[in-house]
Amino acid sequence: MNIKLNVIDLPKDDYKGGPSSLCPGCGHDQVSNVIINAAWENGIQPEKIAKMSGIGCSSKTPAYFLGKSHGFNTVHGRMPSVTTGANLINKDLTYIGVSGDGDSASIGIGQFIHAIRRNLDMLYIIENNGVYGLTKGQYSATAEIGSRKKKGEANMSQPIDLCAVALNLGCTFVARSFSGSKKQLTALIKAGLSHKGMAVIDIISPCVTFNNNDESLRSYGYVKENSNELHVVDYIPQRAPIEEVEVPAGNYRDITLHDGSIIRLETIDDTHDPSDIVAALSSLHKAEREKSHVTGLLYFNPNVETTSEQLNLSDTPLSALNEEDMRPSEESLIEIIKNKRG
Amino acid sequence: METITNNCTINIATANGTGSQSANLIILQTLFDMGVNVSGKNFFPSNISGLPTWYVIRVSEKGYQAPGDDVNIQILMNKATWMKDLESLEPGSVIIYNSDVKLPVERDDCILYPIPMTKMARTIHPKLARMISNVIYVGVLAEILNLDQEVIELAISKQFKGKDSAIQLNLNAANLGKEYFQENFKKQDPYVIENRGKDDDAFLIEGNEAIALGAIYGGVSLLAWYPITPSSSVAESIIEWVPKLRLDKDGKSTCAIIQAEDEIAAAGMIIGGGWAGGRTMTATSGPGISLMSEFIGLSYFAEIPCVIWDVNRTGPSTGLPTRTQQGDLTLLYEASHGDTQHIVIIPGTVEECFEFGWRAFDYAEHFQTLVFGFSDLDLGMNKWKATDLKYPTEKMNRGKVIHTQEQLEKISNFGRYRDVDGDGIPYRTLPGSGLAPILYRGTGHDEDGVYSEDPEVYRNMMMRLRKKIDSARTILPQPLFREEVEQEVGIIYYGSMETTIQEIDDILEDTGMKVSQCRVRSLPLSPAVEKFVENHELIIVLEINRDGQMYGILRKELPIELVPKVHSVAYSDGLPPRGNVYAEKILEKIKDVQK
Repeated sequence: MNIKLNVIDLPKDDYKGGPSSLCPGCGHDQVSNVIINAAWENGIQPEKIAKMSGIGCSSKTPAYFLGKSHGFNTVHGRMPSVTTGANLINKDLTYIGVSGDGDSASIGIGQFIHAIRRNLDMLYIIENNGVYGLTKGQYSATAEIGSRKKKGEANMSQPIDLCAVALNLGCTFVARSFSGSKKQLTALIKAGLSHKGMAVIDIISPCVTFNNNDESLRSYGYVKENSNELHVVDYIPQRAPIEEVEVPAGNYRDITLHDGSIIRLETIDDTHDPSDIVAALSSLHKAEREKSHVTGLLYFNPNVETTSEQLNLSDTPLSALNEEDMRPSEESLIEIIKNKRG
Repeated sequence: METITNNCTINIATANGTGSQSANLIILQTLFDMGVNVSGKNFFPSNISGLPTWYVIRVSEKGYQAPGDDVNIQILMNKATWMKDLESLEPGSVIIYNSDVKLPVERDDCILYPIPMTKMARTIHPKLARMISNVIYVGVLAEILNLDQEVIELAISKQFKGKDSAIQLNLNAANLGKEYFQENFKKQDPYVIENRGKDDDAFLIEGNEAIALGAIYGGVSLLAWYPITPSSSVAESIIEWVPKLRLDKDGKSTCAIIQAEDEIAAAGMIIGGGWAGGRTMTATSGPGISLMSEFIGLSYFAEIPCVIWDVNRTGPSTGLPTRTQQGDLTLLYEASHGDTQHIVIIPGTVEECFEFGWRAFDYAEHFQTLVFGFSDLDLGMNKWKATDLKYPTEKMNRGKVIHTQEQLEKISNFGRYRDVDGDGIPYRTLPGSGLAPILYRGTGHDEDGVYSEDPEVYRNMMMRLRKKIDSARTILPQPLFREEVEQEVGIIYYGSMETTIQEIDDILEDTGMKVSQCRVRSLPLSPAVEKFVENHELIIVLEINRDGQMYGILRKELPIELVPKVHSVAYSDGLPPRGNVYAEKILEKIKDVQK
């Protein structure tokens, strides 16, 4: 059998990871598959990639892709700082950070903001489902006003739009996509991997288990109420992933989610100029008003120095320096002391 | 009147932000350059401008460095503390005061030298009168104490290096002060300074700068920090020295410096950098350690090398940000949730600040864990005498890092967390190497780094971690002893208490007691500490905190039969230790015990 190889003669298997332990049908697994594809298609050596994450369902996924890359599943909301330190010590690696809305919009929003501010050279993926999955269904800060969690209380707080936050901070690459839009997402992740600087991709990735409400006929609550044999609290419905969806530029499609709710995805128009930050922001606000989600590459600016460039670091990654480069000479110390003695 | 030579305590009361610090450092430098034993301590407020500040200079023939218990010469410049400063003086003290301040000085029992400093300063530079009046007291003091004119001139030019007009201005002001005293007073006090000939090797340096230089010579490759008193000058010194010492042949930096958004991020950055193979550090104080605690646990459990310097200030909470304490010791030793234990290295002198500054990285990489350096405001922010900063005598210890496939293959049954050598320390590979990649994690993991909740796997992992940290006991800086033959009382102390221990010892020995000392320089404790306890009849654990934190550690770690003879003398009021205060507490304790 002929195994298909990429430009550096590696099979796709070299980019795969371990089996997923997320709920069956989770959008996050679709994103992991797209990451595998994108990295393979881009022909990046797997060992030159570093996979970074925080805590949450999304942050578990680096175990499920790129098994030949080192990775670091850090602490909740703090992936950006760990990635910053790693990047400064080895600027030659490609950093893929995977985060969620709990990680990036709540506990870690400060680190999210400051990593953008510094234009850290990384791909920052947010698998955004509006809910805390691992702790079983609390609202996140990206949940819309009025949406109900499984116990029926409506969320009354304003959602945070992480793309709008990123744009306002001058993030050099901002995109939004949907976990089921394989083609669009692949293109965006490939572009994000190639971008020199901070590439934020906010991916709507609905939670198959908790992002539903009791009114829905296919909700967790409904199933629990109406099936005697399923009266266990840790019941997870077995679901198929959302089918693939592609929306041509300038068009929209309504997507029915697992719980029966519908979201409207609108691909940004062909005429959108991704160097126009004002147009990008206005498309987000317009979509919000119309209760839809605008997807695609919203903004892109390749001409900003990255963190390590701003610091004028040695061309050799600092991790590769040897003792002679790191420890100044004895003469230099003698000179310092001589001056201090006066 | 009999003269008192090279023994006095001078207290200078000014307001923050008036430029008095330069004047005070000129006095300190002059005395130091005259070869007398001198120490200077800054008692400053958490404020930029206006609040009271005191600078205490102690000249001691015996070399005592703690502030003296009584002030001999008081310089009064600050209205706000005027009355209180006056009240606290013993009869016979010398008072040099700015007579342009319209406040009474009703101390006929003292020796008064009123000087119209503001008016005099205005004659030199009307706009800078407030600042210049400080230099006038330098001149007055020089005349009273008989300080060498050329040494003062040298100290002034050192203080204002390269700024010729500032040097001239200050020289004029000092001379004006001198002349005024000569013309208007006859010396009535007994205090004089005699030139002892400066030790050519000696110089003054702050502990924080010594740590910074140590780190630079230790090959620090990432400093991530967040400003906090009293640690900021560690980072600021690294920032100052890196462009001079750490550029490559292209003029590019071999040390990344980043001011983080908070202490949490600073901790994350050094862990990320340590994971990627760098020598990384941060400097902070207690509140920063509290914030970093979650990451500290990650470093311990995922076994990532990095270095955190804690320059202790008075806690708890925001506490007294500009006062000193040894109040973070137990916090450091067991920081973060769950069972943890960390290496803590504790310098007691500026020379050790430098040495531990570079050694910290060797320990961190050797043991693949976070290493705390523990200093405090007193040691860190005051200038102390040093005679040398010794260039590292050993090659860098980069620990068990596998760089090639060949090295990897030589290790049978490799696993990131498998103890193949039996020393508790596994091998690691670096990101980018492609060698045995794993997903590092703070969650439970097996010897291959794979997620695991298996009870036996967890238990074994935790026991190996304990073994690893325990193995540092004999490798870390060992305690230093000054032992008496009699082995009656043994004092265990650490850190900046070193600056006061000689004075305490002298006071105690004056009572006829024989006192040995053991200065602990690292945690976990060296077995030599246990030996010291064993050998002495009674042990006092002396420290600058309320609860006796080192005492608590000793009680936990010593064999139970030794515990009854170990007693705590812990005292903290925010100030650096004074010899008499601590000696008295020790005598009280011994009396109590012997009852």
